[in-house]
Amino acid sequence: MSFQEYRVLFLAATGILTLLVASPAVSRLLVPPRTEFFTELWILDSNRKADDYPFNLTRNQDYSVFLGIGNRLGYCAYYFVEVKFRNQTQPAPTSFGPLANRTPSSLPALFNITAFVADETVWETPLTFSFDYGYNEILSRVEFYSLTLNNVKVDMDDYAITWDSEKGGFFGYMFFELWIFDAAASSFRYHERFVDLRFNMTVY
Amino acid sequence: MLIRIRGREGSVLRKALSVLRFAFVLVLLFAAASQSFVPVTVAESSEDEATSALATAEGAVVSAYQAVSGAEEAGANVSGLLVRLNEAGEFLARARMAYRVDDFESAFDSAVQCQEKLNGFVVEANVLRETAIQERYMDFLVNVVGSVVGAVAVVCGGLVSWFFLKRKYDKTGSVAK
Repeated sequence: MSFQEYRVLFLAATGILTLLVASPAVSRLLVPPRTEFFTELWILDSNRKADDYPFNLTRNQDYSVFLGIGNRLGYCAYYFVEVKFRNQTQPAPTSFGPLANRTPSSLPALFNITAFVADETVWETPLTFSFDYGYNEILSRVEFYSLTLNNVKVDMDDYAITWDSEKGGFFGYMFFELWIFDAAASSFRYHERFVDLRFNMTVY
Repeated sequence: MLIRIRGREGSVLRKALSVLRFAFVLVLLFAAASQSFVPVTVAESSEDEATSALATAEGAVVSAYQAVSGAEEAGANVSGLLVRLNEAGEFLARARMAYRVDDFESAFDSAVQCQEKLNGFVVEANVLRETAIQERYMDFLVNVVGSVVGAVAVVCGGLVSWFFLKRKYDKTGSVAK
């Protein structure tokens, strides 16, 4: 083997060694940039599964769920969750369609939750709730007295559900609107998403 | 025993008695009025205190959040700070709810607890941020600058070695010939 024939071998060895030494710098260039930035919002049942959500509610009975937020925004986010309740005729928030058209519900919040979530992490909190309500036989409707959420009692004097003859029940929705702190505006804005739980308020 | 005072002294005394009577009636009226005014005044001051405490707590939380964001952006591990910030946030949420239902005392207490949770928070976050900036700089020096310089050195070393070996080979080759 002549000296010139060793040239290829020498070049290959030098090239491999160069790549090895440069690998820390190269690895930074090869990381694909993140292109999707979003927030996840979910509710899980008491077993942390999307399986056995409370539906047929009994007066003053405790029910548990987990509320979770996943932050994929690329920065630490300051979230604010507004817990609201509505019957079938009251306005619901929207989370589909163009961003500008998504609006929160105009109903007042019964409870609020604050969460600070680092980028690429999730935050989860248990929620235990019960409703105190009664059946008004004259008006044939369920009338609410209070909601107890994580040991905080909130008045629900103005809330009522009428009988849904089509589906056969007193149906109500507890929903969780996600708001985010906008540092530029120094205020919260609706983060275009919500999750809800549908209940049938049993009266007998 | 009835003492009758007539003349100039009598009129002076009557005047003094009527002033006293008037003063007594005024005191009674004031005492009666204060029963209804005091709770209102206390309630107003309690509401003012709660409003002020809540605004301060909200400002403290926003400042803390901005400090944490800065630290996270610099590459610091902010998980410990976020635990504290979430605890403070919980108090703030309680304060907001209590305020909404006019429970100003609870609102005030929760707002104060929120502020206490954040004592020294911004300073800690800034220290973490500074440390992270220094670590990032060192990391850049070692991993980026160091490896690029190392790679250039390997290439240059390879070329020098190649020419050195080639020259040596040419010499030994010509001697052999």
